[in-house]
Amino acid sequence: MLDALNSPFMQKAFVVGIMVSLLTGIISAFIVLRKMSFVGAGISHSAFGGVAIGFFTGLNPIAAALVYSIAIAVGIDFTARRGRVSEDVSIGIFYSVSMALGVALISLSGTYNVDLFGYLFGNILAITNREIILTLVMSITVAVILLAYLKELFLITYNEELALVSGVHVKMLNILFLVALSVSIVISIRIVGIIMVSALLVIPGATARLFAKGLLSMIILSCIAGTVSVTAGLFLSYEFDIAPGAGIVLTAAVIFFVPLLLKKRGGMYDNG
Amino acid sequence: MSGAVSIEDLSVVIKGKEILKNINFTLEEGIFLGIVGPNGGGKTTLVRTVLGLLTPTRGTIRIFGQSPKSLTGKNFFGYMPQHHNIDPNFPARAIDIVLMGRYRFSGFLRWPGKKDSKKALEYLSIMGVERQAYEQYSRLSGGQQQRVSIARALAEEPKILVLDEPSTGIDVIGQEDFYHLLKGLQKRLKLTILMVSHDVGTVTTYVDEIACLNITLHYHGNPVGALNEKVLSSLYGKGVDLLVHSDVCEKCERLR
Repeated sequence: MLDALNSPFMQKAFVVGIMVSLLTGIISAFIVLRKMSFVGAGISHSAFGGVAIGFFTGLNPIAAALVYSIAIAVGIDFTARRGRVSEDVSIGIFYSVSMALGVALISLSGTYNVDLFGYLFGNILAITNREIILTLVMSITVAVILLAYLKELFLITYNEELALVSGVHVKMLNILFLVALSVSIVISIRIVGIIMVSALLVIPGATARLFAKGLLSMIILSCIAGTVSVTAGLFLSYEFDIAPGAGIVLTAAVIFFVPLLLKKRGGMYDNG
Repeated sequence: MSGAVSIEDLSVVIKGKEILKNINFTLEEGIFLGIVGPNGGGKTTLVRTVLGLLTPTRGTIRIFGQSPKSLTGKNFFGYMPQHHNIDPNFPARAIDIVLMGRYRFSGFLRWPGKKDSKKALEYLSIMGVERQAYEQYSRLSGGQQQRVSIARALAEEPKILVLDEPSTGIDVIGQEDFYHLLKGLQKRLKLTILMVSHDVGTVTTYVDEIACLNITLHYHGNPVGALNEKVLSSLYGKGVDLLVHSDVCEKCERLR
């Protein structure tokens, strides 16, 4: 099993995987508490449109996906807050249109190839050293910014109106959170792929909520659940020759469901 | 204009619908005001406009002579939103919730310290839930959660306490104690209190002034003055029966 650690491409996968899981761990705790899991799924699927724009225009697909995802995230938030349509409808429209745009552009560029498949389902073999550095820089930057505003994010999570009355810049922090979410989605694409990235944004936070007694402990547990899922999932994928994304998501699901089923009493979110 | 809260010719239109129309009243400092009225009558909208969360379509609001928006982040308001707007399973201990009220005193990158914890315990004690300080918020009863939420609002050391339906989740017997406690807070902390309630009867016993709101202001003044069929019928529509709690039921006597 430890063979995996000697393989250079697996080493890269572990480094990127752990960084990604620490960042998504922080974000996942807020996604679960703020009931934003559909937002996460919507933005991650929308990223496909960005990747396709990259393919079509010859730009770096990850960079294109990053800019596109941020635009979609802000667009979803803006449309929902204008109140004309509800947030779930807004997400439903944005992500299906983005997927359609992606498919149309890919058809036009005539590049139905393995590379595209890698973006959809993850491809750890394709991770370059440059991407590792980029992931490291982006993860640390975003994590530090989120941690700096942790207190304010806690207050917004508890109640947005209270936070506003207390003088928190709710609008600015909500956009900052959506940008952080988009960044974490895009850097996770290489590992788990567009289709499964939303699992990393939801399952670790949901697992943490089963045990957490406070917000800080929830974030720490969420990071632990994410890191264990990614490392164990990568080992499994190496051993059994399955797609890493699938290995990671299935491991994360086991880590969530086993304690849930073992809990003798209380509801899903009863911290007893 | 003077007073803690001064409202002049206020109208609020949301999505083309007039929610508040020509509201005028002044609330002096240290007064306990109850805002009552039917559902959809604009009680919460009025409170949200006072807090600066909504912008008036017409008219002006002044809080100690200043506009509400200029006061956000300063310790003028301690706000408790409606109970159903707070996740009852929020993962935190009661004291952690109260400490959120101390965040604004901590500054950027700093967290509440020992002094703040002492303050938080003090406010929990005032609200009669100090024994639950280290219990999970999700484990508390609806009434205890409400008390913790008010302790959080008090921890902001506000001049005006704004409570939106604070008695939700508290049983009828507990409600009298609860209002009594609020009355005590008003005196002890020299607070101005704005409380939204759907309960016209009990509230009148404890508040200094009452505002009867159904899009327009139907009555503002002494709470006893609101308890007549004319005011209540104009507020809730026709068919309001005023039941006075006494040894002899006047209505039954009349029917006999």
